[in-house]
Amino acid sequence: MPISQALHLTSMLLASASFIGLTLGAGLPEWLAALTGATLIAVLLRNIGIKSVERFTMQMPVSAIGWNLIVLGGFSGFWIDLLWISGDLLPAGLHFLMILLVIKLFNLRLRRDYLHLYAISLVAILAAGSLTTDLWFFPIFSVYLLAGVWTLLLFQLTKHSEVSGDVGMVMPIQQEYYEESNRVSPRFFWMANGLAGGAFLITVIIFFTIPRVTAGVYQKGFGENIRTSGFSDRVNLGSIGTIKRDPSIVMRVELPKSPSRDSRPLYLRGVSFDRYDGKVWTNQLSHRRSLIEESPGTFVFRGKQAVARVQRGEAIQQKILLEPLDTSVLFAAPFIEGVSGTFPSLFFDDTGAVYLPFPSSSRIEYTVVSRPTVLVPSDFGYEPSQYPETLVRHYLQLPLQSDRITTLAEEVTQRQRNAYEKATAIQTHLTSNYRYSLDAPLAEQQQPLEEFLFSRKTGYCEHYATAMVIMLRTIGVPARLVTGFMATEWNDYGNYYVVRQQDAHAWVEVYLPYSGWIRMDPTPTEDNPAAGGPVWQVFGPMMDNIRLQWNRLFVQYSAADQLAVVREFKAEGLSVQTKALDSVTALFGSFMAVLSGMVTHDMSQVRIGLLGEILGIVMIGLAMAFWLGRSQPWATTSFWKMTHSDEQVIAQLYRRMRTYLTGQGFSSSTAIAPLELVEITRTRWREAHSAVALITELYCRTRFGHIPLTSEDVKQAEGYLCRLLELPKP
Amino acid sequence: MTSTETIRAVQENIARVIKGKPHVIEMSLVALLARGHLLLEDVPGVGKTTLAHSLARSLDCSFKRIQFTSDLLPSDIVGVSIFNRQKQAFEFIPGPIFANIVLADEINRTTPKTQSSLLEAMSEAQISFDNKTYPLSPPFMVIATQNPAEYQGTFPLPESQLDRFLMRLRIGYPAPEEERKVLERPSSLHPAEELSPLVTAQEVVQLQNQVDKVFMEESLTDYLLAIVQSTRQSDLLSLGVSTRGALALSLTAKALAFVRGRTYCLPDDIKELAPIVLSHRIMVARQAGLPQRSFEQAEHIVRDLVDSIPVPV
Repeated sequence: MPISQALHLTSMLLASASFIGLTLGAGLPEWLAALTGATLIAVLLRNIGIKSVERFTMQMPVSAIGWNLIVLGGFSGFWIDLLWISGDLLPAGLHFLMILLVIKLFNLRLRRDYLHLYAISLVAILAAGSLTTDLWFFPIFSVYLLAGVWTLLLFQLTKHSEVSGDVGMVMPIQQEYYEESNRVSPRFFWMANGLAGGAFLITVIIFFTIPRVTAGVYQKGFGENIRTSGFSDRVNLGSIGTIKRDPSIVMRVELPKSPSRDSRPLYLRGVSFDRYDGKVWTNQLSHRRSLIEESPGTFVFRGKQAVARVQRGEAIQQKILLEPLDTSVLFAAPFIEGVSGTFPSLFFDDTGAVYLPFPSSSRIEYTVVSRPTVLVPSDFGYEPSQYPETLVRHYLQLPLQSDRITTLAEEVTQRQRNAYEKATAIQTHLTSNYRYSLDAPLAEQQQPLEEFLFSRKTGYCEHYATAMVIMLRTIGVPARLVTGFMATEWNDYGNYYVVRQQDAHAWVEVYLPYSGWIRMDPTPTEDNPAAGGPVWQVFGPMMDNIRLQWNRLFVQYSAADQLAVVREFKAEGLSVQTKALDSVTALFGSFMAVLSGMVTHDMSQVRIGLLGEILGIVMIGLAMAFWLGRSQPWATTSFWKMTHSDEQVIAQLYRRMRTYLTGQGFSSSTAIAPLELVEITRTRWREAHSAVALITELYCRTRFGHIPLTSEDVKQAEGYLCRLLELPKP
Repeated sequence: MTSTETIRAVQENIARVIKGKPHVIEMSLVALLARGHLLLEDVPGVGKTTLAHSLARSLDCSFKRIQFTSDLLPSDIVGVSIFNRQKQAFEFIPGPIFANIVLADEINRTTPKTQSSLLEAMSEAQISFDNKTYPLSPPFMVIATQNPAEYQGTFPLPESQLDRFLMRLRIGYPAPEEERKVLERPSSLHPAEELSPLVTAQEVVQLQNQVDKVFMEESLTDYLLAIVQSTRQSDLLSLGVSTRGALALSLTAKALAFVRGRTYCLPDDIKELAPIVLSHRIMVARQAGLPQRSFEQAEHIVRDLVDSIPVPV
């Protein structure tokens, strides 16, 4: 491909990458995105050489002044946009930027225009970078970087090295004579890609070492959090049903202490409710108090739960990456003992729920240590239970209702003697006699619970849980409704749970005198159809894992992480290396894991990580060795000869000389042939004659004879030109 | 001896006789190497005949001279058939056209019928007589002379026939010091007779073949076509250059590059040759008619046109 055409293409690619980045990041208005996209496609087609497009774009009767007027119009449009339409500097500026891009694309004639295009693209990609933290930005940025390196290389190569730079700047690119002989060779191709790779590597190193302020300053998302329901202080029965069909991911949970998969689902507790009025659950104990900050970023729970005399199970450590939600509830497995993360403060209420000060508008990552309650054998005894007064007040409350529910509860539990057995009996009754269905429009009913229990007998988690709580309360067992998420989707590649909106769940906590609050789930398991085909099953989790690592390693890479690296560096020299390698391994490992995952799913994850690391290093090393061996960039100038041929150099020298002589008043006409010019200088400027004759001779030889020159010839010609320029004017 | 040196030697050889006219000598060699014919148009006595004679002498080629008069017949040029009694058959006796270099002196003095018999030979390089075809041995070159000053009793060549000549040259008067050298030469011998041949006919054919290999860059072809196109569009001309004219310009440009020792053409070659090669192929429009002789005027117009066309850089 000729170099100038390659330059057109890479310029288009550059503009496209920044445009796509900005469109995805900033959410441009549709008409603007469509306009810019159409322009890019049109200009691209023109460059490829489709005649009709060419004719169409050439026919646009707009002069240079016309273009300037359009730019001015765009600028006034920017002010109108700023003051009345968007009302904000950032979107208005971005819209103006896209308008400028469109204008430039239609007006790409001079080299100057190309420089403007690059500048616009740079601003656009920078804007896109500051607007987003998503993974898609990575491939787009890579494309931008690659196209950028290509474009700048090609731009430099097609540049005229005129000393009086103006001549080159205003010369139309299309009029290059030497483009046929100058093509993009495979070696040049790999050279450019290698440069891009090198630039990226250096960028990554700088990224990990330069002091950081924050990530994604203008990240999109204020007011665009994922909408959840069921986690506020007041919840209508059936509200979880509305989000049960939404597959968007709300969080990812890693269990660092137990990386292998647990067959049981992980319950992530959100809030609990004590009061039910027949239709709406409310939390009367929502008075919030702040958690004690033990050390910076680490909060511990010293509330009633912690001091309770109940026995606790083994600690579960969870690392949770929470997407921006519209609730301030912090989800974790029950019951939270300590939370660490970058929060200014945390709050808890009497039901054991933990809250952020306000809903987060960006992704947050935090670590939680929880201890579940365990069943104590004392609760299997047969003495009647005695409950504290507060429990009776809050957790035995009942709405106004018919006696049918009481009758049913007593019927189910008549043979059981203690609270635990009664609860189990009710749970069994509900799971075995009722059918799970999301198509249960119970919310409109006057008595939704009775409708569920006695007539429809189908419903979903909230109905089951509500029924169980109320039935327990009617027979005197304290219970409460808990909402949260039930994590069942395990990602094999990253070893974490993926929690989606549809995993939202409601269950029951029963208070037992010795054990404390015990979780019970009366909802029968739903027969979930497999999501997607086999391809999705492989790529879906893999992509999700890459997204997680991206977020962890790049977007969330913070000053704290950097400090940790520095600290470790001080502690022991090797650890930095390890940490850096860990980062690389984590990213590479997931790719490698997928590769191997297509072969076998059973391979050990640790070994895959290591394998990925080794393979990566070996491949990079091999590529470097191969490249160095092939091209020997230190030894020859062949690269420059190839791309910047002597013919081009000498043609430039000749043009430069001709321009100079014209300036001195020797060749006033373009119709003067080369040897004629020599003759003119011979008669009128003897001192310059030898230089002009030599340069002209070399020029004619390559230009019209296509006879290659030696590098000495070129040097000699350059020397003569310098001497000519230094000569006193005639 | 390389081809360049050979050509240089021939030029110097002729220059010993034709004093002070290196350009004319060079151009006549160009016409020879481009396999073309030459029309010398000038007043009598400036060395037209001597030039042709010297060229033929230097080349070791057969040379014939035909003095064109109004009563010259085609058979005087082509040859005649005579009944041979021994063989009881007609025998073709070749005329003076059967030579390598033919000087057609004062070509406009003879009748069109006779002129056309010569012109057929020029374009076909063969003679048809009595249903038989006799090829002329290469190299074959006609050097015709013409007196522009005297038009009484002449039959001017029509444009279509002038087109057959590759180039039209004027010799012009020599500079005074060169003219002095001519006068100082002993008059006992014809000056051309003292020249010794340097190149054989076979070698000339080889040189002609080498001219074909001279490289013309694409942009130069465009330049050449631009020149030709401009003659067709000019208001000053009523008839532009034909395709044969463009071909002639391209051929001569290659030959000139070769004569000057290059293997590739330059814009200079085309620019220099355009007036010589093109000016006899065009017709000056009547309203542009000036009190100047037409061929000088045509040359002037062509030169102006060439000067208006940008040279490829």
